Order: sequence, then C-alpha cells, then structure tokens
Amino acid sequence: MDATLKLWLVIVVVGALNYASRLSFIAFFARRSVPAPLARALRYVPAAMLSALILPMVLPGPPLVLPAWPTPKIVAALIAGVVAWHTHSTLKTLGAGMLALWLLQAAYARIG
Amino acid sequence: MSVHRRAGCGAPRAGFSVQAPARGAPHPAVNRSVRHILDSQDFRDGFADMLPACVGLIPFGLVCGVGAVAAGASIWGALGMSAIIFSGAAQIIAAQLLAVGAPVAVIILTCVVAGLRFLMYSAAIAPYLRPLPPRWQQALAFLLTDQAFAAAIRRFDAGVNPRAGGLHFLGAGFALWLCWQITNVVGYFAGNLVPASWSMEFAVPLCFIALIAPHFKSAPQVGAGVLAGIAVVALDSLPMRLNLIAAGVIGILAGTAVELVQERWTRR
Repeated sequence: MDATLKLWLVIVVVGALNYASRLSFIAFFARRSVPAPLARALRYVPAAMLSALILPMVLPGPPLVLPAWPTPKIVAALIAGVVAWHTHSTLKTLGAGMLALWLLQAAYARIG
Repeated sequence: MSVHRRAGCGAPRAGFSVQAPARGAPHPAVNRSVRHILDSQDFRDGFADMLPACVGLIPFGLVCGVGAVAAGASIWGALGMSAIIFSGAAQIIAAQLLAVGAPVAVIILTCVVAGLRFLMYSAAIAPYLRPLPPRWQQALAFLLTDQAFAAAIRRFDAGVNPRAGGLHFLGAGFALWLCWQITNVVGYFAGNLVPASWSMEFAVPLCFIALIAPHFKSAPQVGAGVLAGIAVVALDSLPMRLNLIAAGVIGILAGTAVELVQERWTRR
C-alpha cells in the first residue's frame, strides 16, 4: 500500500475510533441517569487511571521493575507528590520535581 | 493553579445557545456566540489554568513530532496525527509501527487499545456533562485527554455550575490542543531540541502527579491509586499495554471496596 495512503488511513481510523471512545459514555448517559453504584465507582477513575499512567514513567524499564534501591526518578516523584498535595500547583510541582531529579542524578553520579 | 478561586463566575451571556448555522454563510448568531465564549471568564480561566501543564507537555509533543518524521510522514501527515488523533500515546505507537512497516490493522488495533482508557474518562465525566447540550458534549469529548479530564473533574468537584465547568473545560482543552499542535510541528522540523541528559521526559509524569495528588484525600482514593500502581507493574507482561486499562479497572474496584468497608465501619 502507498505509504501516504497508509498513514492517512491510520490517522482517520484511529482518530475516529479514539473519538468514539471519548464520546461513548458521554453520549450514552446524556439521556439516561447514571446508576448509583456505577457513579460511586467512577469517582475513582482519576486516581486509578493516572496512577497507572504515572508508574511506568517513573520506574526503571521496560520491563517494569521495582529496584532494590530507589532511583532518582522515584525519589523526585515522591517529592513532587508532596509538593503537589500541599500546593495544588502544576508549576511548583514541575519545578520541585525537575530540580529534585537533577540534584539526585548529580548526587547519584558522584556516589557512583 | 487557581482551580477553586473563581468557581461559578462567567460572563452572563456566554451561553450554550450555539445555533446550527444555515447552509452557506455562517449564521451571525454563531459568530456572536463564539465571541461570547472567548470573552467568558471561565473559558479564559480554563485556558490559563492549563498553561503550566502545557509547559510540562512540551517534551512529549517534541517526541511525537520526531516520531512523525521517523514514520516518514509529511508535515501534513504529522499535523493530521497531532490534530486528529490528539493522543500522545497513540501517536507514538502509530509512528513506531509505521516506521517498521507493520500492517494497518495491527497499528489501528494497538492504538485503539491504548485509547480504551478514554472509555473510562468518558463514563466518569458523563454525569457532569449531562446538563449540557449535545453539541457541547460532542465538542468537549474531542478535547477529552488525560490532563483535561483530570483538571475538569477537579473543577466540577469544586462545585461549579455545569455551564461554568463546561466553559472552563473548553478553555483548558483548547489550550492543550493548541500547545500540542505547536510542539508537534516544532518537533517535526527541529527534532528533539532538549538534550537527553536533562531528562525532560520526566516532566510528563510530573504533570500527572500535579493533577492527581490533590485527589488523594481519602482512604478509598489512596487505595484506588495504590492498587492501580501495584497492578500496572504486576501485569506488565500483558500485550499491547493492556496492563494500563486492567490496572485502571482494578484501582476503581479497590477504591469502591475500601469505601464500602469504610461505610460498614462507621455505621457500627
């Protein structure tokens, strides 16, 4: 298949299917009420889904492993979590997390 | 981020009364409505509130632009990916698989599996968007990304009315979309401007941490996060990154279970 055609086929089909995923339940529940047990469970979507997204970017891998000794990224992520919890500020979280990572990487390099 | 500060204040006439345009020339009412949306304080707050997260996403957008080059895309193909697919994870997967000449069906299936989390986001945000007209639901659905979703849920939970929350969501989603196009194009032409030794890719999880840490206020929310974290590592060997969606479901069930246990204890 022609490479350009293949690329645009992927763009259009993936774009359409991703949009269908995004619209799915918004459209479904537009005219129906959300059952109470489901509404209760859905309140945990942000905490569960974002935690699942964050860990693979913080832990060493792939394949994902829990190192015996915390890596700079793990410590920096914990520090950023505390800053985010207290300040609710994305900029402060970004600043604290990056600064912590750079300092820790330098320190780890020196220790060897 | 000033999420709670201006809850509920919006320009009084920035309504959701966007009329369908007549065929041909755009209906004057549409132009007026668009201006009212852009002028509304909630839209502008949403836009401004998302800018710090946009800064954190710059490295991710650059990587996606570089990926489009590797996939052999023209600038229009690269823009098509960032503007239409509008999902960093799906774009990177698509670019990698295109670069190695994988069959179209495999590429599409893998990208859609990575996008299954949008089903959960859609369900979780649906109760808040119910009062809005279908057109608004359809527009906001297009802007439903990890960041916009988490920010919108926080905003709605702070108790804003549906219209103010919708306008804020629209502003935040638009800021992300715009920033995404710019960073993807810069990445396409200039490559990855940031040296790898700076570890700027770490800004992406930091953005998510900033969005999610304020949710961890109760035992069930912490339980949901911890269990999802354990599950995503334990199920790492699943194909097509299905561990993400599985961990999400496990975390949701864990949060619900902790809440039920908590209720039973307090009732005694």
